[in-house]
Amino acid sequence: MTTPSSFEMPNLLPAVPEIFVLAATCVILLADLFISKDKKVITYLMSLATLIGAAVLTVTLHTGETVITFSGSFVSDPMGDVLKVFVYLVTAVVFVYSRSYLIARNLFKGEFFILGLFGVLGMMVLISAHNMLTLYLGLELLSLSMYAMVALQRDSINATEAAMKYFVLGALASGMLLYGMSLIYGITGSLDLAEINAAIKSLDDSKMMVAGLGMVLVIVGMAFKLGAVPFHMWLPDVYHGAPTAITLYIGTAPKIAAFAMVMRLLVEGLGDMHVQWQEILIIMAVLSMAVGNIIAIAQTNMKRMLAYSTISHVGFLLLGILAGTSEGYSSAMFYAITYALMGAGGFGMILLLSRAGFEADRLEDFKGLNERSPWFALMMLILMFSMAGVPPTVGFYAKLAVLQSVVGVGLTWLAVLGVIFSIIGAFYYLRVIKLMYFDKPVDTTPLQGSADMRIILSANALGILYLGLMPGSLLALCVAAIG
Amino acid sequence: MISMSHFLILGAILFCISVAGIFLNRKNVIIILMAVELMLLAVNMNFVAFSHFLGDIAGQVFVFFILTVAAAEAAIGLAILVVLFRNRRSINVDDINSLNG
Amino acid sequence: MEQTIFYIFSTVLVLSAGAVITVRNPVFAALFLVLAFFTSAAIWILLEAEFLALTLVLVYVGAVMVLFLFVVMMLDINLTVLREGFARYLPVGLLVAIIMVAQLAYIVGPARFGLDKFPAPEPHGADYSNTREIGLVLYTEYLFAFELAAVILVVAIVAAIALTLRKRVKTNFMKPEEQVLVKSKDRVRLVKMAAEKRDDQQAPND
Repeated sequence: MTTPSSFEMPNLLPAVPEIFVLAATCVILLADLFISKDKKVITYLMSLATLIGAAVLTVTLHTGETVITFSGSFVSDPMGDVLKVFVYLVTAVVFVYSRSYLIARNLFKGEFFILGLFGVLGMMVLISAHNMLTLYLGLELLSLSMYAMVALQRDSINATEAAMKYFVLGALASGMLLYGMSLIYGITGSLDLAEINAAIKSLDDSKMMVAGLGMVLVIVGMAFKLGAVPFHMWLPDVYHGAPTAITLYIGTAPKIAAFAMVMRLLVEGLGDMHVQWQEILIIMAVLSMAVGNIIAIAQTNMKRMLAYSTISHVGFLLLGILAGTSEGYSSAMFYAITYALMGAGGFGMILLLSRAGFEADRLEDFKGLNERSPWFALMMLILMFSMAGVPPTVGFYAKLAVLQSVVGVGLTWLAVLGVIFSIIGAFYYLRVIKLMYFDKPVDTTPLQGSADMRIILSANALGILYLGLMPGSLLALCVAAIG
Repeated sequence: MISMSHFLILGAILFCISVAGIFLNRKNVIIILMAVELMLLAVNMNFVAFSHFLGDIAGQVFVFFILTVAAAEAAIGLAILVVLFRNRRSINVDDINSLNG
Repeated sequence: MEQTIFYIFSTVLVLSAGAVITVRNPVFAALFLVLAFFTSAAIWILLEAEFLALTLVLVYVGAVMVLFLFVVMMLDINLTVLREGFARYLPVGLLVAIIMVAQLAYIVGPARFGLDKFPAPEPHGADYSNTREIGLVLYTEYLFAFELAAVILVVAIVAAIALTLRKRVKTNFMKPEEQVLVKSKDRVRLVKMAAEKRDDQQAPND
């Protein structure tokens, strides 16, 4: 029996970024009460400062070593640090893009930023989880914040319906995940991911069946959260129904956290069952790439199209993970990070075109963008090329790295399928480019985005191009992080 | 004596009832929310049984946190439900179709 | 003895869980859910998880289910529409559920979790405190999780208030703090003016 005297204060140093984000969010929560409605820009600036502060702390505390603290609940490792820095970066970009959209819709309130920051904390916990309990709590912290954010525009029927669907399916997914976790706990006798992995090695065939069932349920739960086919039905509705600024939030940084969740649970926790989960992931990856790319063609709404495109990108992400080699993991990590950046740019463009009372989320709203603003048509061209995987953008290298890792483990047929589906997918990305360059504009109002948004959006798109020309540094970072 | 499998089968039955409840009551969001609570109860039953028979307190601690999170989840779920009802005057899930396409 | 108790309670539990998803009226469903939680609490006491059993009754029955009942009664729900399609899907749903139960029961059944594999632990003595056991690890080993649970509850509060709090514009309400601070000069204004002469010609006609 543990006695209180045997308790040692855990090493708090690795968790300082988390503690900082929590403390800062609580300060913002209180300060926001005293900030009048027309001065919410202070809340916004404080939120950005929190993200910058967290980034500074994560970078300065980065040691390149793996430290486990809080009695095995929390791990700080190179992969976690890299992913966290990108989570802060992407979320900060999301906040900047969202500002004018939120102001125009009377949503520029403290709750958006507070829930957004709590979501960031959830992602950080998820990234650093080292036992199933922490992982579950991080996931719920993130999910609960996102459900509420989707419903934040509470007079909109679409948004509240989307929130309800998201909530019901998310809760169902959590239930499945937990049932799987309970079986894994029962058969291995531990919640700690490293201990689970060690215990699974010594299971006999009969007990392996229980672990297998647990694994299947855990994968189903995670597939729901990731939006992999056949558990994707919520994703287009939620992306479409939510206000675009919130679609931008839920469609970007949480994908980085979801990658970390899969890494922690499947690779660190159930790494020994790789043969079993590889088969399930192959099926889900092929279906996701197929369904995502084919149904996206039929969409007339930009947000729905990008939602199906997300599903297909999740398929590619899974390809890297299912390879089961460190090249595969680092290529999947590269994919997750670059996808979050591309997604931020893509949804950011919709936000740039929108204005009060006008969502700009239909495909025809992009018609003739070249005549209205040649510069941003070019930026959109880069983003669409990158999502389609056209060189020399970073999307090409991300797909290439993932496919190489799949070929590396002898699954060449899977790589061929991946190439075929990305060629099919190129069609609808190129259609957007055709609309922008060869069609007459329907709506000739000049673009209204604020200067900071224009600069960051341009930097975002140019960054995609830069990473495509020089993918070496980010790729090396991912390889080093996986180790 | 009662074996661990008794409790686990009880948990499995509860789990299946709740899954069936979600799919049968696709029109009624409030029953779906209750089915989700039932599903968490099934999970908790598993954890408590494992914790008892393995002699490991961690399972019970997990249940403690599931109860906490489920309470938070219920609060948010019901809040969304209330907002939805104010907008639509209905909680019928089939009504929720303005997003099909 | 123990076995009898287990079977009685688990029968009640399964039946009430079944009732939750099949009864017509959501209020009854909520009440059956309460019954399900009560019986589960009893079963958990058989498993020597006294603290959780009590928490389940206090937190779930006492708070969460009351919240459910409030919402069910607050919303004016059309019951007939909600039942459409239920009977049509019932046979298929029942079949799938029974097959699922059979599969799960096979996997977690006596072949793997029987008494020969996992013998029942010695019952704890009367001086054993389950609450103390949980408390000892909760604030030490699971400190991080404990703090996170607090954050999750804050998120729930923020979200519930952000989603449902409405400032009513049309209702008349008084602000006591303003009432207390009011001075007589805010309400009555004494104006000094010169006395005016009465217009004699007009006055009689009034």
